[in-house]
Amino acid sequence: MPASTLIARKDLKLRLRDRSAFIFGVVAPLVLAFIFNLVFGGASDPATGLGLEYGMVDLDQSEISQAFTGVLEGAEADGILTLQTYDEEAMGAIAVEDGEIDAFYLIDVGFGRDIQTGGSPTIQVIGDIDAPTSTQIGASIAEQYASGVDSAQLAIAATATLTSTPITPEFIGSLSLDPRSAAFSYQLEDFSAATRQLDVTTYFAAGMAIFFLFFTVQFGVLGLLEEERDGTLVRLMAAPIGRLSVVGGKAILAFALGVISMSTLVVATSLPFLMGADWGAPIGVGGLIIAGVLSAVGIMGLVASAARTPEGAGNLGAIIAVTLGMLGGVFFPLGQGDDLLSKLTFLTPHAWFMRGLGELADGGSWTAAVPSMGALLLFAGVTGSVAWVLLRRRLDR
Amino acid sequence: MRVLAIGASNIRRMLRERSNIFFVFIFPIAIILLIGAQFGGGVDPAVGMYAADSGRIAESVTEELESIDGIDVIPYENEDALLSAVERGNVQAGIFLPAGMDETAASGEVVKMGFVSRPDGFGAQLRSIVGAAVGEVMMPVGAAQFATAETGASFTQAFDTAAGIAEGSSGLGVEVSAVGEALFPDTLGRFDLGAAQQLVLFVFLTALAGSAALILTRQLGISKRMLSTPTSLRTIVVGESVGRWGTAMVQGIYIMALTFLIFRVNWGDPIGAFLILVTFSAVGAGAGILLGASFRNDQQASGVGVMLSIGLAALGGSMLPIELFGPTMQKVAHLTPHAWALDAFAELVRRGGTTVDILPELGVLTAYATVLLILAAWRLRVAITRP
Repeated sequence: MPASTLIARKDLKLRLRDRSAFIFGVVAPLVLAFIFNLVFGGASDPATGLGLEYGMVDLDQSEISQAFTGVLEGAEADGILTLQTYDEEAMGAIAVEDGEIDAFYLIDVGFGRDIQTGGSPTIQVIGDIDAPTSTQIGASIAEQYASGVDSAQLAIAATATLTSTPITPEFIGSLSLDPRSAAFSYQLEDFSAATRQLDVTTYFAAGMAIFFLFFTVQFGVLGLLEEERDGTLVRLMAAPIGRLSVVGGKAILAFALGVISMSTLVVATSLPFLMGADWGAPIGVGGLIIAGVLSAVGIMGLVASAARTPEGAGNLGAIIAVTLGMLGGVFFPLGQGDDLLSKLTFLTPHAWFMRGLGELADGGSWTAAVPSMGALLLFAGVTGSVAWVLLRRRLDR
Repeated sequence: MRVLAIGASNIRRMLRERSNIFFVFIFPIAIILLIGAQFGGGVDPAVGMYAADSGRIAESVTEELESIDGIDVIPYENEDALLSAVERGNVQAGIFLPAGMDETAASGEVVKMGFVSRPDGFGAQLRSIVGAAVGEVMMPVGAAQFATAETGASFTQAFDTAAGIAEGSSGLGVEVSAVGEALFPDTLGRFDLGAAQQLVLFVFLTALAGSAALILTRQLGISKRMLSTPTSLRTIVVGESVGRWGTAMVQGIYIMALTFLIFRVNWGDPIGAFLILVTFSAVGAGAGILLGASFRNDQQASGVGVMLSIGLAALGGSMLPIELFGPTMQKVAHLTPHAWALDAFAELVRRGGTTVDILPELGVLTAYATVLLILAAWRLRVAITRP
């Protein structure tokens, strides 16, 4: 058996016996993913959307006001919103304050008459002050309806002006086209996009796994500095073992610890009675884990090569791991649109790991995660090479 | 006096360690900044937009969309970038404006624009916001097309007529108003909410991280050596407690002062805020010593400490305001000291309360601190005198 594997095997036995690696590698990420899922799962699950709940107070009961209610009921039938009817304004307001609905529509007496006589009819949208987006959406549904009504009236008025005819029922009757068609001058065509983003449960499972991976891997890498401190490294160097084998042994150990921890977490978080995370295509997940663990080994190797003592490396490693994790968006997704933060985040392996898993979401093929694997391997290659150069120089001393 | 000496040496040891400087002083401020930048002032859904056209209609649609409160409009360079952004969740939906919309409108044809959203987001809801804005812009276009077909006038002439009439008439209006007391009032600063949340998270985290220091104190034999001097066990235990408490206080005061100076964070009534910090730090100190006395291995203690402090912070509302929790989770949250401290800060900052208003919360925190410190003192006595 090559010396490096022998060293790795001995260390692995030691580490598995020490509960520290188990706490960082399995217990902490599992418990935290579970708690985060509990806290954030209900609040921000995109699948439940905004859950728009509206009320209607129609004091007018005219044909036109009922037509608007009809539009809302149509939207309710499509599952876009829910609609409650109330008899008076005060009841709607109470429902909003009690949080039963996000907002309610108030159509006052005389609404239908005003539309026909050219008055200034309004639909009032009275919303919960803490639900601005839902209120805005409710208002825009009313606005869309209003612009339909307005379009028809504008079409009639423009025609009348161009022909210098007063607007009378006879004039409207004489038009060859239906004025309501004026509302259909445009079309908003729907394109559906695939989902390349993780659901909340998987997001936190993956986020905590990659966050704690760096601590777990560190247990392997730090072994080298501990041997140096304890004087066993000098003895290892005196033995007929190459420097590559010594460093390689520690790297293999770190890699093994990382892969064991990550695989355990994938299986545990996928259990339906625990969290039921959906990690996606196994080959893709496996590739991302291997590439992700390698990047962690590289980065933590670099930390070890730069530090003087195991304690120093531990502290520096914690700083690097926490900073990269935070910036990599393991606790909350960073940046919106294409702002600076959403670009900075890709300076971390964490963000690439999460993106790779995102590509696998919703049944994506494993090939979709290949660019992310590539980025992770690049991290691993660059940091690993620098670490090797520094460590080799150090072992020569 | 000896109590203070032990306490002070604890704080000194904490400050000497460079990584502590990072975690205690730099990192919390960075996080408050990051969270303020990301979530401060609420998160509006973002709608991406790619306009392949720069004509009159495209310009009006852009202006109309940007004038809407409640959504952010983010421009994209091309269709692919927009689609990717929607798929990856960088924006919740996207609108695509094709080239030549003005010409299409003038020829009397239907102007087609694209709307892209994902099945799992709230795209359907955003669609109505975007649709209303587009409908508003397209009203004179539709009227002009109608009038052109009816009268044979040129499209430009009909459009100008329709636009002129639309300008002068109010049409069917939609008025929006709000009721209720705002949970997070507008006066709440960008960093106010996050600062209190991060304060309790980090004070507790630092206090629990102190458990490792406590274990090292024992491992290095400092505790035993102190015992061999004419120092009573009680003095050592109280001194360690003062040290842990002092460390938490140093960090807490630092975070409060700095965020007040840099980010103008409003901490409410200063006496009330100080008392929350005093009691909460004592809770942290108790928990830290209990943890440190219960483990013999500093790595295990710090692993459990990180897990506990992040987990309790999440449960206690340091990551998502408790007000947004469901009813059951709100009850669970109040098992953590974090929730009580955050409730107290909310009373001071959001409702302008004073010390009197937060007495119940201070009482609960004091009870937590007392129980934890008594347990911790008992366990620490056992741990120090263990052969």
